[in-house]
This record gives sequence, structure tokens and C-alpha cells, in this order.
Amino acid sequence: MTDWNAMSDAEFRKEVRGFLEAEYPEELRHLPHRPKFAEIEHWHRKLHTKGWVAPAWPAEYGGMGLNAAKLLIFYEEQQRWGVNRGRDMGVQMVGPLIIKFGTQKQKNYWLPRILSCEDIWCQGYSEPGAGSDLANLRTRAEIDGDDFVINGQKIWTTMAHDATHIFMLVRTDPDAPKKQQGISFVLAPMDQPGVEVRTITTLSGETEFCEVFFDNARTPRENLVGELNKGWTMAKALLSFERIFIGSPSLAQNALGQLESFARGRGAFDDPVFRDRFAQAALDVEDHAALYSRFADQLKRGETLGADVSMLKIWVTECFQRITELMIEAAGPDGGTVGPLQVGNVSVDVLASFYKARPTTIYGGSNEIQRNILSKAVLGLPD
Amino acid sequence: MQSSEQEEDLRLLRESARTLFDRAGGSGRSRKLRDAGGEFDPDMVRELGEAGVFGVAVPEEQGGLGMGLAAGGVIAEEVGRVIAPEPVVATIGLGLGLLRRLCPEHPKLEQLIGGEASLAVAWQERGPGGASADATCRYADGKLTGGKAWVVGAGGTQDFLVVAEADGGPVLVLAEASADGLVTTRRAQADGSSLGELSFSGTPAAELACGAAVQGALSEAVADATALAAAELVGLSQRAFEITLDYIKTREQFDKPIGSFQVIQHRAVDLNVMCEVAQAAVREVLMRMDGETDASIRARLASRAKARAVTAARKVTRDAIQLHGAVGYTDEFDIGLYLNRALVLSAWLGDDAYHRRIWFDAREEEGAAQ
Ligand SMILES: Cc1cc2nc3c(=O)[nH]c(=O)nc-3n(C[C@H](O)[C@H](O)[C@H](O)COP(=O)(O)OP(=O)(O)OC[C@H]3O[C@@H](n4cnc5c(N)ncnc54)[C@H](O)[C@@H]3O)c2cc1C
Repeated sequence: MTDWNAMSDAEFRKEVRGFLEAEYPEELRHLPHRPKFAEIEHWHRKLHTKGWVAPAWPAEYGGMGLNAAKLLIFYEEQQRWGVNRGRDMGVQMVGPLIIKFGTQKQKNYWLPRILSCEDIWCQGYSEPGAGSDLANLRTRAEIDGDDFVINGQKIWTTMAHDATHIFMLVRTDPDAPKKQQGISFVLAPMDQPGVEVRTITTLSGETEFCEVFFDNARTPRENLVGELNKGWTMAKALLSFERIFIGSPSLAQNALGQLESFARGRGAFDDPVFRDRFAQAALDVEDHAALYSRFADQLKRGETLGADVSMLKIWVTECFQRITELMIEAAGPDGGTVGPLQVGNVSVDVLASFYKARPTTIYGGSNEIQRNILSKAVLGLPD
Repeated sequence: MQSSEQEEDLRLLRESARTLFDRAGGSGRSRKLRDAGGEFDPDMVRELGEAGVFGVAVPEEQGGLGMGLAAGGVIAEEVGRVIAPEPVVATIGLGLGLLRRLCPEHPKLEQLIGGEASLAVAWQERGPGGASADATCRYADGKLTGGKAWVVGAGGTQDFLVVAEADGGPVLVLAEASADGLVTTRRAQADGSSLGELSFSGTPAAELACGAAVQGALSEAVADATALAAAELVGLSQRAFEITLDYIKTREQFDKPIGSFQVIQHRAVDLNVMCEVAQAAVREVLMRMDGETDASIRARLASRAKARAVTAARKVTRDAIQLHGAVGYTDEFDIGLYLNRALVLSAWLGDDAYHRRIWFDAREEEGAAQ
């Protein structure tokens, strides 16, 4: 097996770039929507054969075992080439959870199925009454023989209509003294009579998230991950990983690239005001990357990240939104037009980028919540 | 300053316009039309015409109500509040703005006021980086050749008013939507409406006016429409803010309404201040435009209004989504409709950055002239 980490950064980058440019299907570059699995399946097969589905997982579980520096390069190259993340909730969220907290049996069973996409996962955390206040979740799981019986409702479940399994936080002890206690982490199959999925249309007309209803749905007790009633701590452990991922420069960098070619094509750089605003955005992205690598270095040294990682997400998501506003400005009278706008030989879907940027300040812990975290946990401000 | 009599007239006008739109179904009507794939409702256009809505800014001697642009602004704000898809501002500002200045005797004027005719104005052309400064659409021997872009209300109109170039200078001509050699392509907009791209090849059209007066009337009409679009955005922002305010008072997280968190309270206050500034500025602009005859000053005023209104609408609609959380990102809640409509109205006739530039250049020119 190749030890990628032994390569120089430049060598590794060349390797990744070469593979993506040669193998990634042209028609899937810079996809403006979240694809269903069928749409990207042939690409996934290629990745799987190559052994590149899970760059961050240890090699013993079928991952590439990349260290933080190499991982960063891997993601940068993916973004640069407009490679779709694919249906990566399994790889990004369930896999790390099982690797960290799962039993050997769970690892043996689930991990290969995640890599092959035999199972496609969705994330069932949020509920109508449990958004920012996630600990308020009410969906119940009660033990009945060898099964959990699940009743309740999840919402905003991204791509649940195209998933085979859901990883969820459920309430297993309603009498626990604190909301955060009595929550467990379970895995459940979607294809069963007690699970009903209803898609929700977004304001841009896409159907990418859903409501999921559980009416005496069942999942075997062995699908509990970690200890009973200890789900909250585990979810939080996962979140810190999610926050560095969500705080990475990639989305903003990618949008900046699109803005640049679009604005150049439209002649927007003839205007000194626009040049200044572009330069501001470009420096916002570049300087964020400097802060990001400080955190990445911490990971490289094997340290765990503190609450201060939240600042990455705040900065980069708001920057991403400003970049898409600039795209709209550069589009001028076409700024309200749906679909790709052609300039010279580039085509940029300005509104698709704009819509994509909107919820980044809402999901993954809203930016208000991140600011609350920073002011309390980092600045030590009193309640 | 407004006289108290005029103020009372505008208040009554606002009340009756609001009642009319609310009775027709408010923003729910707009959603239904969009879902049905229709751009706007011809029956509603007739109803608005009967109520005198289109003629508010047309002088009395030309068959209007003679209440000025200030009254047009009142109507536009109400249109914005319910995000009505009918091209009310385009009709008051552009269609009627051109006809009443250039050919007040033409029967279309009366029909348009009465809501009995529809007329879309085609005046801009596409250049490499956006709107082109040079007109290439030609009119000769009773026929049009060339193209026009960003035509509001192109889908569903009976006729087009086209500004074209002829040998003797600019002309205003009337072409039927069904005329030979006219191809209309619709470009879908964020709010479910569309903008028309017209292509003429020997399309028959009737000349209504020609010469320098056409250019002058066009600039005036565009200034009117720009200021009225600003008013529409003001109404839209105000309503989007109200919806958001209701939401943060009722949505609970951490066992209290999210509106009890100080950061949310401050955000709400900022949005409120933004709405009030925009409303005051735009209403003042419309009133001053009514009393102003200098075309370049009127244009500068209109730019001031649009610049402010777009800035406010952007801030209000974006923050409104944020304060709603995930439900704000759905189509099921109305707030998204307001965001989408704001995108379209902001791009139409120039966004805030564009108008700030125009405003500054005009100010410099006026300074130099003094
Ligand atoms: C596109 C998208 C995809 C998503 N995908 C998934 C998914 O796959 N699985 C899943 O489980 N969830 C998913 N979510 C849900 C997401 O995690 C929630 O939207 C998020 O937790 C916020 O919750 P909420 O939407 O209920 O907003 P609320 O919590 O109701 O918040 C509304 C507003 O109030 C603010 N607010 C709340 N509390 C405070 C406070 N204490 N102080 C200051 N401000 C506060 C928020 O910041 C926000 O602006 C997704 C959401 C979106 C938009």
C-alpha cells in the first residue's frame, strides 16, 4: 500500500491532480445541485477501485490514511477541479464515528459498505423543536427485545430521499435529569414500513432536504454506537471534526475562482470600485487560509482542536456569501436570472452559487451559535 | 413638504390599494400564480385599471388621477408588500411614462390606464458586459431589425413599445407581439417571472414618435421607473421585516423565544432602522421628483432612491432568512419568496453599486456646471 504521507507535498499534489484531471467526468464538474447517487455512481466506482473514497480514514479500514497536511491538499485539488463531494455523509460522519466508538463487529460490517456506497447515509439530528437547541430532541427509541422501536420526527435531513440508512440521535432515557443526558446514537435502515420520507422544496426549487417520520420503526439493538445514553458526548466529539471541515477554505476558494472568470468575462474589472471589492474578497479568502493552516498544523501535531475552531466557520461562510453577492453584482441586469450565464467560453450559474452560500451560516451550528461559543468558551465572557 | 391635504390623499390611496391586494389574496395569490407557471393575472390587471391604479401619476387632462409619482410610490410599495407579479411599476413608469410624454393622444394610453391593454417596453440592448450603451436595433421602412433585452412583462403582453434607431435619430414604435419576424425568448427569473429577449427581423411596427424628444422621454421614464422600483423594494423590505419579527417572537429554542436573545434583538433593530431610512429616503425622492423639472436632477434623485432601496432589501431579505433558520431556506415559508423577488427587482434597472456610481457622476457634473 502506498504511504502517501511519505511523499513530498508537491509530489502528492501532482498525483492527485493527475488522477482527477484524467478521470473525473467533465459533465460532473462544478455541479450546481446536490446529485443523487445514481448520477455520480460511475465516478464513485472509479474512486473506490483506486481506494480513494475515504482520504481521512486510517489505511487499516480502507482509507488513504492521510495526515492533515495531505488531506488539505487532497480537498484543495478536489475543489480546484470542481469535483463533487458525492454522497459523503457515510465517509465524513458515520465512518469516523464508528472508527472511534464502534465495536469491532460494527467496523467489520459497516465500514466496507460505506466505502462501496452499498449503504448511503443521511444525518438525522435536527427536529422541528430541536435546531440550535439540539439537545431538545424528542424522537424516542425504546428497547423491545432485540430491537429499538423508534417514534418521532426528524427534519432538514439532507438527501434522505436518496439514502438507505440514517444515523440519528434519539432519546433513550426521557427521565434523565438534564436534556443532554439520555440521548443515544443509533443507526437505522430507511427501507421499512415505519419510516416515511417527505421531501421539502428549498427556496431555489431544489429538493435536497426532507422530513423523516418514524412510526414504530425498528432497528436492531446492536446498531447502537457507543454506550446507551452517551450519544451527546459522541456527537460533540464529531462536531469538532465537522467544524474544521466546514471551516475549510474550499467553498469560498471555489466561488472566488468562478467570480474571477465571470467578472473578467463581463469586463467588471474595468471598474476600480469592483476591483477593490474583488481584492477584498480575494484577500479575505487568502488570509482565512492562513488561519486555517494554523488549525491544520495543530491537527498535524496530533493536538485536539479547541472551541476557537469556530472562528474558521464564521469567517469563511460569511466570506463565501459576500463572494456570491459580488457575482450577482457582476451579472448586472442578469443578476436575477436562473441558470448558467455564459460569458465567452465560461459559464457560471450565479444564482446557484448564491443559493448554496445562504444556508452555510445556518447549518453545522449557526453563526450566531458559533459566536456564542467563542464569546463564552474562548473569550470567557460572563453569562 | 407635503400639504396635509396631499398627505391625506396618499393615505387613502394606500388604504384602498392595500385592501384591494389583500382581498385578492395577498402574497398567497403571488405564490399560486408562480406555482401555476403563470407570470401574472390579466384579470388582476383589469381590476387594478378599474381601481385607477395605473393612472395615478398621469395628469388629469390625459385621463389620469394627476397625483404624481408620490402616489405611484404608494402603489408600488403596496405591490412590493404582497410581491404581486403584475408589471405595475413597468406600466406606470415606462409604458405610461413614454406614451404620456410622447403621444398622449394615442388610444393605447387610455387602454393602458384602464387595464384593458398590456404593453411591454423594449429599450435596452445586450452588450458584452451587460447593457450596451449603443443601440443597434434599427427601424426603417416601417420595419424593425435587431434585438432588445430585459423586457419586463414580455410573456403575456399584446404589444411592445420599442425604442429603436432610424435615419433621423431615435424613434418610438409599436409592434404587435404576434408580428412576423419577432422571436421572443423568455429567461426565467428567481421569482418565477421572466425577462424577454426580443429579436426582430423585418418586423412590421408603427412609428409613434421620433427625434430628440424620444431620448428625453425615455430618460425621464426610466428615472420614474427606477424610483418606483425603489418604492416597490421598500414595501417588500418592510413586509419581509414584519414576517421576520413575527417569527422571532414565536419560534422557541432553549426554552424561550429566539427574539429574547439580545443579539437577535439588535439584529431586528438594525433591520427596522434600515427599513425606516429607506422608506423615508424613497418617499422624499418621489416627492421631490414631482416638483423637479430638471431631468438630470430627477435622474440623480432616482439613483439615490434605488441605491438605498436595494441596499436595504438585500440586508433585510438575507438577514430574514438567517433569522428564520432552516425554514427560511424552504419554499414553504413566504420569506423565501421575498428574497427571490428582491433579487429580481434589485437587478432590474440597476443595483445599488451601479446607482451610487451614477449618483456620484451626476453630482460631479452638476457641481461643474454651477
Ligand atoms: C441546507 C440545510 C441542510 C441541513 N441538513 C441537515 C441534515 O442533513 N441533518 C440534520 O440533522 N440537520 C440538517 N440541517 C439543520 C441544521 O442543523 C439546523 O438548521 C440548524 O441547527 C439551525 O436550527 P434551526 O434551523 O431550527 O434554526 P433555529 O435554531 O430555530 O434558529 C433560528 C435563528 O435563531 C438563531 N438562534 C437560535 N438560538 C440562538 C441563541 N441562543 N443565540 C443567538 N441566536 C440564536 C439562529 O442562529 C438562527 O439565526 C440542515 C439545514 C440546512 C439549512
